[in-house]
Amino acid sequence: MKSPWVRALSDRLFVPVGGIAVFLLLAAAFFHFNGYPPLNIFGQIVQGAFGSALSINTTLTKTIPILFCALATALPARMGLVSVGAEGQLYFGALTGTAAVLAMTAAPIWQLLPAALALTIAGGALWGAIPGLLRAMLGVNETIVTILMNYIGIQLVEYAVYGPWKDAGNLGWPATIAFPRAAKFPPLTLGTLSSNWALVIAVLLALVLHVFMERSRLGTALGLLRSNPRVARMAGLSYARHAVVVMALAGGLAGLAGWVQTANVQGHLQPDISSGYGYVGFLVAWLAGQNFLRIIPLSLVMGGLLSSGDALQLFAQMPFANTVVMQALVFISVLGVGAWRAKRRAVS
Amino acid sequence: MKHRTFTLVAALGLAASLGAQPALADTSVGFVYVGAKTDGGYNEAQEAGREYVQKTLKGVKTNELENIPENAQVTQAMERMIGAGDKIIFATSYGYLPYALDLAKKYPKVTFMHCGGAKRAENLGTYFADMFEAMYLSGIAAGKASPDGKIGFVAAHPIPQILQDINAIALGAQSVNPKATVTVVYTGAWNDPGKDVAAVNTLVDQGVQVIGMHVDSPVPVIEAAKKRGVKVIGYHFNDMRFDPKGWLTGGYWNWGPIMASVVKEVEVGTWKSQAIYGNLKSGASKLAPFGPSVDAATRKLVLEKEKAIEDGKLNVWQGPITTQDGKLLVAAGSVLPRDKVDAMDFFVKGVIGSLK
Amino acid sequence: MSVHAIVGLLATALLTATPVLLAMLGETLTERAGIVNLGVEGQMLVGAAAGFAANHVSGNPWLGLAVGALAGMALSSVHAFLCLGLGVNQIASGLAIMFLGNGLSSFYGTPLVGQQIAGFHGLEHSWVAAIPLAGEFLAQLTPTVYLGLALVVACGLFLYRTQWGLVWRSAGESADALRMLGKHPAAVRLIAVLTGGVFTGLAGAALSVDYTRTWVEQMTAGRGLLAVGLVIVARWSPWLALPVALIYGLSDALSLRLQSAGFDLSPYLLGTLPYVVPLIVLLLSYRASQRGTSMPQELAGVFRGMA
Repeated sequence: MKSPWVRALSDRLFVPVGGIAVFLLLAAAFFHFNGYPPLNIFGQIVQGAFGSALSINTTLTKTIPILFCALATALPARMGLVSVGAEGQLYFGALTGTAAVLAMTAAPIWQLLPAALALTIAGGALWGAIPGLLRAMLGVNETIVTILMNYIGIQLVEYAVYGPWKDAGNLGWPATIAFPRAAKFPPLTLGTLSSNWALVIAVLLALVLHVFMERSRLGTALGLLRSNPRVARMAGLSYARHAVVVMALAGGLAGLAGWVQTANVQGHLQPDISSGYGYVGFLVAWLAGQNFLRIIPLSLVMGGLLSSGDALQLFAQMPFANTVVMQALVFISVLGVGAWRAKRRAVS
Repeated sequence: MKHRTFTLVAALGLAASLGAQPALADTSVGFVYVGAKTDGGYNEAQEAGREYVQKTLKGVKTNELENIPENAQVTQAMERMIGAGDKIIFATSYGYLPYALDLAKKYPKVTFMHCGGAKRAENLGTYFADMFEAMYLSGIAAGKASPDGKIGFVAAHPIPQILQDINAIALGAQSVNPKATVTVVYTGAWNDPGKDVAAVNTLVDQGVQVIGMHVDSPVPVIEAAKKRGVKVIGYHFNDMRFDPKGWLTGGYWNWGPIMASVVKEVEVGTWKSQAIYGNLKSGASKLAPFGPSVDAATRKLVLEKEKAIEDGKLNVWQGPITTQDGKLLVAAGSVLPRDKVDAMDFFVKGVIGSLK
Repeated sequence: MSVHAIVGLLATALLTATPVLLAMLGETLTERAGIVNLGVEGQMLVGAAAGFAANHVSGNPWLGLAVGALAGMALSSVHAFLCLGLGVNQIASGLAIMFLGNGLSSFYGTPLVGQQIAGFHGLEHSWVAAIPLAGEFLAQLTPTVYLGLALVVACGLFLYRTQWGLVWRSAGESADALRMLGKHPAAVRLIAVLTGGVFTGLAGAALSVDYTRTWVEQMTAGRGLLAVGLVIVARWSPWLALPVALIYGLSDALSLRLQSAGFDLSPYLLGTLPYVVPLIVLLLSYRASQRGTSMPQELAGVFRGMA
């Protein structure tokens, strides 16, 4: 007879281990059928993600925006709002933050960075609040509004960098002036590892949100609003107010992703701020079951997968797109196993 | 729990894979492309250069990465190549410049070559060529092929290079038909076939009879023009095979010799950072072969003008040049100064379109 | 604007709108049975790649469309397996499909870039062009446009005028009611997802085989995701899908037309039109029809039940 804690342990490990097992099987099949030796490729993925200082730093760089965007998806999801808008909020936040840099270019870091961050968060919050407001006041589905606003946000950034904010010194290349050091998150080094403070902020925010959601009244309120709006209303909770606040907060988080990409990674505002991090963040949030703690390691894994893409293209002659396939397979595997498990238990 | 399991797998994989990463050969040259190397356009032209290097220089290994966007991802891509042993990196897309400059500082022993850049470093040189001369000549062919003098242009973005192309076509066409016009539509994207097709349709609906373009891959534009039965002048690459009947001529890049000479110099140790600039005369940009529909008289005229340009007797930007709003920018007898060409921000008269 | 110019604008709009329309029809059918599939973008992409490849190899554009449709269906079967078979949340599953389709199409589509196909023969010199008055307009349209229009009618008639359509809609309104009638909602939904896959794969193939006759990575540029949203704007009605898709196509065509007419407007601000206009239409329609909820009831649960 299995002891209870063995059973409990195997219970908790079943989904992740089973999910990874299925993923490895599917991925190996994919590589094999395309003429690549699976074990060798897996090794290269791991190497490309964590195998050297360069790899780890690249992974960390990609993890930060994914983490922010995952938080920006999970927060509204707690309330039952399906926001696919992290991408657009990222862009718009970067846009508004840039205004601070252009207005205060020579300011010292203790003035410029807070101003830029404040504007970034405000911009992202606005871009998130609009769909929240429309949902709250008019009942318009927030998924479609956020999807549409993603494209609008991207276009607005292009307008700015091809038009009024284009740096003439670029000879037509669409980008603003190079951002001063004072606009960037300060660097963070640990031996050969180098990242920046945005990573710490993102992780801290995830922890704070986790505690907040699990322990506070707000967290319970959001859960109630999601599962039983009628009871929530009777309890005096305003759906409209919560929707707008939550969407605004989420937008601010995504905006921060936009800032780290723009200021730290690219050093200026330009088109193509994000490599679809908004959508990857959505996947991570779902994979984590909207749990803020689990989002942290999962963002790291996704960052690692993306980081290995260039290595695989260079060394294995594999198109970069294989990382996208990998991400999809991880998602499908873990979700599939989890759902299968839940179904089995529901029946028994 | 999940993250513990992932780390376990990672550790196992790491142990199993030590030594799985291959190293690249000596005198390794890396090429980074923003798009697909078979795009029939900008990237295929760069790839043709790489193939030239690979073919003509013995003992040189080349490798390439495709579809690397013009954002920080290129830093990671280039660092991978350097980590694998590439001594020379060709960053072939304009938007790679800031990232290449940063990496040049970090890796002083690696030679970087950037296409089209305006800034250099001690270990970063640039290479580019004027294409507007070929566009001027193509404009002549377009002017002759268009009875109403209506030419259209599908442009990605309003940047000086593209403005040069448009103006050159207009001036060339106007040299054979003073009433010729060039209508410009921007797709807002370097590579969006759907937008390209819509742009062509819009232009043809306006009565345009010849279409030129400057997008990364001319193929969708050529296909759409073929569908609507209008003629086409190409860019970046010789794409005549896509529409032999409608193809007039065009311009294409010939990067191979430049790239090969750079690699040779680096190998021997005589390379110095400079801005290599090519044109029609030097052979870095070329006039594309004529399509069958171009008559003998037009061919003769175009080739004469080509010779005149190469001999220095004809300058595309010689006066008189009037701008879109009627101002006489360059008087007869003078030539637009080079820096104004490089920073072009106007349209000549006869161009219908917005500058922003 | 002259008649000629208006005709040209309409034709361009219709051509631009057709892939989106086909995708909208597919997703409308799927959602009407109570399943949301956000993976339309991925399905369009595999349809575009597979269709282009089939055409390139065989020289037959109709085969290209068929293969594209099949590819879309194959990918949608994964979505069906995940959410119908295993009970995975539909939103999550759909996005996984989007990533999978995106990755697979880019991965396998690499050798297709720069290849050439002939596509459909143009109608410019056929008997269609000779039709008085409408001929000029009709000749610009391509076979997929006609296919799209025919499918609008087919879907509309199917959903609202046939017994099967009633069963289909019941699966989306109330699975319990359907079960009481002795039918199986799960079976209906499976067919609905696969049908959606056929339509969206067809939409992608229409884009690559007919509209552009090229293949480029991620060439759908968000049209699939947009189509899912526009289904809501069209109130889940196949009949309304046509005008809504046209609004999108017109905004796109208009932004280009304004440029070529010499208006000094930023192409980027104009580029927001195809997204702003449907948004405004959405807001107006919500206000007009009180809550305007013709949303299939079974979908309401999907959007709420997560985590």
